[in-house]
Amino acid sequence: MNVKGLADKLLLTVKRNWERYEKSAGENAVDILEFELGEMENIFALLVLGSFVGFPSPPMQISLELLPEMEDHLKLMINKVDMANEPLSNLFSVFEVI
Amino acid sequence: MSNPKNIFFLGKGGVGKSTSAAITSLYLAGKGFKVLLVSMDPAHNQSDIFEMKLSDNPVKVVQNLTAVEVDIKKWTDKYLKNIKDQINKSYSYLTAFNLENYFDVLKYSPGIEEYALLIAFNSIREKYKDTDYIVFDMPPTALTLKFLTLPDLSLIWLENLLKLRDKILKKKEIVSKIKFGKSEVETDKIRSKLIRQIEEYKELKNVFKDKDTTSLNLVMNPDKLSLSESHLIIEELKRSNITVDKIFLNKLKSGDDVSSFKKELRGYEMQLIPNAGKELTGLTALKEFMEKINDFVKF
Repeated sequence: MNVKGLADKLLLTVKRNWERYEKSAGENAVDILEFELGEMENIFALLVLGSFVGFPSPPMQISLELLPEMEDHLKLMINKVDMANEPLSNLFSVFEVI
Repeated sequence: MSNPKNIFFLGKGGVGKSTSAAITSLYLAGKGFKVLLVSMDPAHNQSDIFEMKLSDNPVKVVQNLTAVEVDIKKWTDKYLKNIKDQINKSYSYLTAFNLENYFDVLKYSPGIEEYALLIAFNSIREKYKDTDYIVFDMPPTALTLKFLTLPDLSLIWLENLLKLRDKILKKKEIVSKIKFGKSEVETDKIRSKLIRQIEEYKELKNVFKDKDTTSLNLVMNPDKLSLSESHLIIEELKRSNITVDKIFLNKLKSGDDVSSFKKELRGYEMQLIPNAGKELTGLTALKEFMEKINDFVKF
């Protein structure tokens, strides 16, 4: 193998590794963004449907008007209640600490 | 007249809101205006005052005057059924099933009663557009204040929820852009519903604020308790930018010092109504009593 071929191979390897790194970093960033999005959705759900889990809520008719569109939020809230005892482990798994 | 004018009668329990509403309705009908008298008070005194059975369907009282009684329970049930139907359509069977019990107790939730009144008010306004005046005999202070301030209060919540929703949607757009290379923003049904509600409440708020469309008449008696509650009502409504239009000083006895009340409530047009001295029931008694009232305020 000549020097040019070696250099090309080396360049290709570096390029592939860089792409892999970029993809993984991108995925990680999206994971964090999605986690943040989930939290925001959860806050929105708590604000609207808080009365379902004992939080003070807006005038009842506002919650009721939005309720038919918020099945996923309702499920998310129930999931959050399940996760309530393990908030740190949830956070660690998002940031891949362990 | 293009749109009917809403005339509300509000005040402390027992001051004579229903009688004032009945007299005003009869007076306006007598002047040739088409009037609808609506009893919003769950106590429904109008049936007793006119000595006729009133219901959810309009009943003719005299020429130009019809009356209806708003059945709050019926409006609450209708509203909750509509939400329940929407949930059954959009939710999975199990989630909808789990909510079933919640709906059974919802009708007793705080806030539902005033919202039912608001729906009834909107529906009546829409249905009786060809009327000149719609006279509303309101429930005692607490419920009426909640009813009148509900649009303002709801708007505070809705506008903040919309801000949060917009932040969420913006973030969703970023995630979609990174993941799929383009932003896929579908129409968010929750956002659409928030905007629709904001528009509806803004319209209602304007209806309550606009003096050409709505006249709020505070009924009171010439006594200290009634006066202090009237001040409270005026202040509470001011906070939502709603102003009282006229004061109906009812049950006036000869010798009552009207000037001190006029001084206390200066700036408001005042309608003086003498004490009937007997029960005012039946059309004959009402008409006889109306002859004792010299000047009637203009609406």
